[in-house]
Amino acid sequence: MNSGVLDTLQRGVEEETYYLNMGPQHPSMHGVLRLLLHMRGEMVLECEPIIGYAHRAHEKMAENRSYIQFLPNTSRIDYLSGMIYNIAFCQAIEKMAGIDVPERAEVIRVIVCELNRIQSHLLWFGTFLLDIGGITPFLYCFDDREEILGILDRVSGSRLTYSYGRFGGVTADIDDVFISQTRSFLDRLRGRLPMYEGLVTKNVIFRDRCKGVGVITVDQARAYGVTGPVLRASGVAYDVRKAEPYGVYDRYDFEIPTRTSGDCLARYEVRVAEMEQSCRIIEQALDALPEGAIEPAKMVKKVKSAAGEYYFAVESARGHFGMYIVSDGTDVASRIKLRTPSFSVMSAAPDVLKGTMIADVIAIVGSVDVVLPEIDR
Amino acid sequence: MPRTLLDIFPNPLIAVGIGITAVMTVLSVNTLFCIWFERKVSAWIQLRMGPMEVGFHGTMQTVADMVKLLGKQLVTPKGIDKPLYHLAPIVVFAPVVAAASLMPFSESVAITNTNIGLVLVFMFGGFASIGIFMGGWGSNNKYALLGAMRSVAQNISYEIPLILSSLSVVLLVGAMGREFAVDGGVIQANGMNLAHITGVQAQRGVWFLLLQPLAFIIFFIAVLAETNRAPFDIPEAESELIAGFHTEYSGMRFGLFFFAEFSNMFIGAMVATILFLGGWDGPVLPGPAWFFLKTYFLVFCMMWIRWTYPRLRFDQLMTFAWGILVPLSILNLLITAFLVKVF
Amino acid sequence: MSYVGSILSGFWSLLNGLGITARHFGRKNVTLTYPHEKPELSGEFRSLISLIQLPELGTHDCVACLQCEKICPSYCIKIEGGKVEGMKRKRASKFEVDFALCSLCGLCIDVCPTDTLEYSKLYDEAGYEREWVFDLLDPFESLEEEFREKQREVDAKVAAEKAKKKAAALQAKAEAEAAAAQDSPTSGGEVQS
Repeated sequence: MNSGVLDTLQRGVEEETYYLNMGPQHPSMHGVLRLLLHMRGEMVLECEPIIGYAHRAHEKMAENRSYIQFLPNTSRIDYLSGMIYNIAFCQAIEKMAGIDVPERAEVIRVIVCELNRIQSHLLWFGTFLLDIGGITPFLYCFDDREEILGILDRVSGSRLTYSYGRFGGVTADIDDVFISQTRSFLDRLRGRLPMYEGLVTKNVIFRDRCKGVGVITVDQARAYGVTGPVLRASGVAYDVRKAEPYGVYDRYDFEIPTRTSGDCLARYEVRVAEMEQSCRIIEQALDALPEGAIEPAKMVKKVKSAAGEYYFAVESARGHFGMYIVSDGTDVASRIKLRTPSFSVMSAAPDVLKGTMIADVIAIVGSVDVVLPEIDR
Repeated sequence: MPRTLLDIFPNPLIAVGIGITAVMTVLSVNTLFCIWFERKVSAWIQLRMGPMEVGFHGTMQTVADMVKLLGKQLVTPKGIDKPLYHLAPIVVFAPVVAAASLMPFSESVAITNTNIGLVLVFMFGGFASIGIFMGGWGSNNKYALLGAMRSVAQNISYEIPLILSSLSVVLLVGAMGREFAVDGGVIQANGMNLAHITGVQAQRGVWFLLLQPLAFIIFFIAVLAETNRAPFDIPEAESELIAGFHTEYSGMRFGLFFFAEFSNMFIGAMVATILFLGGWDGPVLPGPAWFFLKTYFLVFCMMWIRWTYPRLRFDQLMTFAWGILVPLSILNLLITAFLVKVF
Repeated sequence: MSYVGSILSGFWSLLNGLGITARHFGRKNVTLTYPHEKPELSGEFRSLISLIQLPELGTHDCVACLQCEKICPSYCIKIEGGKVEGMKRKRASKFEVDFALCSLCGLCIDVCPTDTLEYSKLYDEAGYEREWVFDLLDPFESLEEEFREKQREVDAKVAAEKAKKKAAALQAKAEAEAAAAQDSPTSGGEVQS
């Protein structure tokens, strides 16, 4: 909704406004987000996101335990890209302590991370549709997602909180069954995409609900530090995997999908295109899978690093995820700061949600794909 | 022409008693069936199984749910408008029973038969939104209030295409039923009489669906909106308004709203069957069988649509009604009137 | 035209959507009726930890090194143990795990020097009490005495062998020394001469 309508509303003869608490208990608030909405009828005049309902003090916990003990926590910061966070932490520690990673482990990491990204996008796809009222696509997505969870379960032993990475490698090797399962999943997903397109992308109701809704301009996105698919939907081709390649991402050929309109539809399209790109990366990685060890010969239990400050960033399913580690040379971090993409996106919410309708609030919050435990940490 | 209960039983009290009992039974069974059916249809579409535990393939699940609802405590929130809050479920539910009694489900027997049946159905249909508004307003809950306001705006908007599209059928009945055979005589068919509408289709051997496809589509969409079915379920949009107008209702009060929703669906499908699908008309099977088959086919379509589409936004809903459905139904009505005049 | 066109294309997209859901009607469902059917667990499935009955020992091989207790991020493992009379290796006498705290990360399994820890395949991790502390040694209690007996024998044998070897070595050394001593005068004599 444009600001003209808002002005008209605000110029009303008398102010008949009210406050509406959306969340923390609300069927379609992601996690425990609470939005305090100042409303006039169906229109939102002001919006104040209130966070902290899922605060578990991950950063503080990092200061009280050794690096390896913090490892299981990383999957729980953003439970939807647990694998990416887990491996990002390992990579950060490896960078800090100068641990070498076998090549095969690096490639396996890329494969499981990209599977995790597809899984996260599929879940987003389903819940976004659920937010705007379509229930069936949610279950179709979960059917696909279940395959990925099965594949990752087979290799890591867990479906959501993987703890798969270890300093210098990964816990378990992938086998031929994993490779064939992954390949058949990629084929299956590609076969399902036209179905999703017919059911969702081309659906006139869906397009009407998303087009022009919740526009985040490039300037807004830059001002709030918005990254990930939301930023790319606004037209900036920024992806950590290309901008500062980590791991072995520089070997693979993939594109950064972008759109320029910055609305819910653009964010939707960017994510769907990203799933396709992830498929491409996985295929290339599977084709060129080197042989060799997956872990260093001796498990790294104590991390030895020089005192100092280290920063390591990866592209999670939601954007630029950074780990800023201050080390005092001991095995326990003196401070770990997590830069999570959802937090930046959420801080742009008051600007974006202003002057929208209550149904759009749900659609916009759904489309930016925030994960609340990641915001609260 | 179907004989009514008043024709069969000379004592009006007995007739009314039997009528109410029959309608309540049919509506209750229908609700129990429809809830189970809705869950099964959604499960089939979504590659799930749906209820499987209670009874054969979960057929008794809704009965169990109903018993649970009856046993639940009725929570009354603070600060409510007591009369409105307590009356609302009844106001929503009562017109449903009245409307259901108007349906001519067979060529031989009907519960009632009036010459203004169509008008009465729309009137009782309009009642539901009053009840919803009372419930939403009286609940002292902002979500409920929003749902109630949406519901009223939606019902008023969609009644117009609903009535306009059915008017073209009324015109056709008037034109095609000039020599309408009834009880051995020939009369001019009454376009507002539901039995006459069906009778004309049966006697002419043509369903109005074939003559008025556009009117049927508009009517069906408007029925979806009137009965608050997805994709027009914005008064109770669960992802936006939690449960909309019945957020604060619990136990059997909520059960009555639920009952009314499924009964409204049933009635909407019955009216569509009468107006466009020839009611009891059909070969081999007896009239009521055809009537209920067609009705449940339409109910199935409503469920199918619900489990396929996302929900519209409030302003889009209005734009759709006033920008597309109303002009199209007026156009359809004008063309019908013109053709009726010409031929 | 665009008004009519948009209505028609919109209507077409809606029909298309109905067709897609209709195509799912006859498909096989993908769900499990959970309490009746249980999912097939993958080989790597990580559940609560348990001790392995090693075939060569006939029982577990926890030597109470406390590595798992030290690395556990949830601090949920409590081990007691120590030297056993007549045995060479240390033995755990208590291996308590509070599974209410365990986060199934698997670090304890990675660090175990004797590889005697594994993931169990318990799927329904649910209980009726808040207290969920188990002693992992309980199932091995009956085996413990037998093992100790055997181990003592083995240890004794090993010790005896070692002692024998040592004695032999000593003897050999002594002999060598003696031989050297025998040799040395000649050599010494050579040096002297």
